[in-house]
Amino acid sequence: MDCCEERPGKGRDGGGLKKVALIGNPNVGKSVIFGLLTGKYATVSNYPGTTVEVSSGNINLDGKRLLLVDTPGVNNLLPMSEDEQVTRDILLAERPSLVVQVGDAKNLKRTLVITIQLAEMGLPVALDLNMEDEAMDRGITIDKEKLRKLIGTHVIGTVAPERKGVRELKAAILDGSSVPSVEVDYGPVLEKCITAVSALLPRANITRRSLALMILAGDESLGNWLKLNLLNGNLEKVEALRDECALKLGRPVGLVINEARLARAGEITGAVFKKTGQPEHRFVNFIAKSSMHPVMGLPVLLVVLFCLYEFVGVLGAGTLVDLVEKTIFGYYLNPMFTKVIKLLIPIPFIQDLLVGQYGVITMALTYAIGIILPITTTFFIAFSVLEDSGYLPRLAIMSNRLFNIMGLNGKAVLPMVLGLGCGTMAVMTTRILETRRDRLIATFLLALAIPCSAQLGVILGMLSALSGMALAIWILFMLAVLLFSGWLAGRLLPGKRSEFFMEIPPLRMPKLSNILVKTMGRVVWYLKEAVPLFVLGTLVLFVFDKLALLAVIERLASPVIVGVLGLPQKATEAFLIGFLRRDYGAAGLFAMFRGGLLSHVQALVSLVTITLFIPCLASFFVIIKERGMRTAVSMLLVITPVAIGFGGALNWFLRRFGISV
Amino acid sequence: MAEPKAAPETEKKLIEDEALETLWELFEKKDEVGLEELISHTKNRDTVLGMEADGLLRIADGKVQFTEEGRARAKDITRRHMLAERLFVDVLAFKEDADLEINACRLEHAISPEVEEAICTLLGHPPTCPHGRPIPRGRCCKIYARKITPLVVALSEAEVGQPYRVVFLTTPMMERLAAIGLVAGSVIKLQQKKPSCVLTIDETTLAIEEEVAKGIFVKKHEH
Repeated sequence: MDCCEERPGKGRDGGGLKKVALIGNPNVGKSVIFGLLTGKYATVSNYPGTTVEVSSGNINLDGKRLLLVDTPGVNNLLPMSEDEQVTRDILLAERPSLVVQVGDAKNLKRTLVITIQLAEMGLPVALDLNMEDEAMDRGITIDKEKLRKLIGTHVIGTVAPERKGVRELKAAILDGSSVPSVEVDYGPVLEKCITAVSALLPRANITRRSLALMILAGDESLGNWLKLNLLNGNLEKVEALRDECALKLGRPVGLVINEARLARAGEITGAVFKKTGQPEHRFVNFIAKSSMHPVMGLPVLLVVLFCLYEFVGVLGAGTLVDLVEKTIFGYYLNPMFTKVIKLLIPIPFIQDLLVGQYGVITMALTYAIGIILPITTTFFIAFSVLEDSGYLPRLAIMSNRLFNIMGLNGKAVLPMVLGLGCGTMAVMTTRILETRRDRLIATFLLALAIPCSAQLGVILGMLSALSGMALAIWILFMLAVLLFSGWLAGRLLPGKRSEFFMEIPPLRMPKLSNILVKTMGRVVWYLKEAVPLFVLGTLVLFVFDKLALLAVIERLASPVIVGVLGLPQKATEAFLIGFLRRDYGAAGLFAMFRGGLLSHVQALVSLVTITLFIPCLASFFVIIKERGMRTAVSMLLVITPVAIGFGGALNWFLRRFGISV
Repeated sequence: MAEPKAAPETEKKLIEDEALETLWELFEKKDEVGLEELISHTKNRDTVLGMEADGLLRIADGKVQFTEEGRARAKDITRRHMLAERLFVDVLAFKEDADLEINACRLEHAISPEVEEAICTLLGHPPTCPHGRPIPRGRCCKIYARKITPLVVALSEAEVGQPYRVVFLTTPMMERLAAIGLVAGSVIKLQQKKPSCVLTIDETTLAIEEEVAKGIFVKKHEH
């Protein structure tokens, strides 16, 4: 789903342009500001951790070109998770000529804690207080003029979605800014240690004082940098100083530093920040409270799921697929293409290639555009609404206990739910989880048991044609597999799960424009990523078929497909293309089912198996990138037999007890 | 509390204290305690009999009773032991095991009445020990009984909707909490406890699980 984000390492140097970094707390609207300044869309949602990668784009201000870098949100430039580290490393590795700090106007104190750290790093900052409208709604006013004088930098107020204040922000960027004057005195003990450590550090892109503070606070993510950049012997001295400091203070150093910063930020806030009582929005409050209430939360969740099912399962996978696949492709396009091609190209081989049984048009495009596109589009729309409303973090509150069983905490609901959209983006979002262990379990569960939207849509479409019973069995079975595999993984992996801790954004009315732009971006990305693979998969089938290999493979796979899973031989094709994309495989099963080639039990078993089947090629590559080749391959080796095992078990169970679905 | 006591200097006093503590515990469960029963628990006949001579116990018809002095000392030592246990478990986050018992036994003899009061206040005058036995009330508990008791509670025990001031934190999450502005001195409000704790601090809403809330100690915030 990261349709518009750039892979790191690409386009980040920007050909020697001056760099401006967008930095700020999570979920304050950095990506919206990024979009406004560069005209490029970066995924915008209402939950902390939407941006887990750096994206960059050019801005043109009165003929002056700059490179703007959007970064993942941070609560502290002392990183506590991978996404926060991405941001700190940017500041460490590439000296931006200016930092545009985006802050939440209603949370000025927390904003200033970041400002203080940027100032310590010696970076010039322009401070943008965003979401002024929400602050105003809560009766908050900030004396920006006074704040400007106090910290000595540009202070701009914006309401990004309404483009309010953007002109002033641009002017401030053009004008440049200075390092904020917000020094913090950490007390005699710590200050002495800071001086001692600083003396041992090399010159870097950020000040020695800020590096010394990070080291003293025990920042382990800095370890490699220190090994590379410190003179021989100095590393040991630095470590000795760090331990001595911790001993002398008798409290966690990071905490002492944080408290000093908070106190300073509190002083400044006290001078410029006013809050008057303001009547609350009764209705919004009611919904916000209900959505995380132990009892009321459940009906809210059921309503959300029901709407999702109606919109994606019934409208998308039912009505729209009927319209596009059956009517448009089935009655008009495919017969037309077949006629035209047979007329124009008299070579049977090419005719078959394009419009035959395994034809690029009649199979690949029909599947991609006829079956999957309507489903993914409706899913992406529904999903964007959920993302932008701020419901997802509330779901984390509701599901924490459930995730505890799987050795994770509620925060993992974000990558999991995102995985229902697309596994690729979801695997990257595991970066918001705190420990390597949590990320590993989440990635494994995503690869095993979370169907992506395309797959989910096809599956829902098929299940709704079966029966409510089939849908219930599928859901319960998948939940059981998810819980059991997670439980097992949590037991087998060493270490303890991290405790649940998550910031909950306010509920907001989703903006139609953002939903449309986001859905558009995702649909385009889907077409770009999926269609070529669909064509490739079809070509493989076509070649196998022509070489009469398909029959051989089907015979070879027969003990598994026919024996264990109890499916017709032809289903082998679906699993074969499922190696490329699970959704393509599911679409193949869908087509078989509609053609009357699968019984109800067979349909259910095949769906369960393909849901658990190996992740698609794209997400497999992301798993390699995020977790490494060894982990990725081991997952593959575990998942394939597990998928077939569970499918076989279900098949045996249904037949043994004669359960009809 | 009885008259202030210095740390016991003699072996004899230590053994007496243990015997008094045992008897206190026995009296928690029943109204009458036999002499032989007490002896079998303490495994020290001479001490128990000697305590009668010292005016700590009364023995009649094979039953044991506290004297005024004995009761005061038993109550005192039991109270210190239980406060020590609470301190280890609640604040220092030790597990309840044999090692903890040994440490509590040592600490009960080592603290002065002032320290005992300070610990009791820090813990918010807890009514029970970690094993659920009632902690004998001290003078300090009676003073605060008129005000809000307990004074300091874990956030998991706090009331929903009331403003609280954070007194101290013991959770390993404290640095992460500090990063969003939650430190000792912050004023927070609990929104709900189930299925997860949700609290607000300034304009930030934060969800944490109960385990984390157990490590955030707060007291009521009065304007």
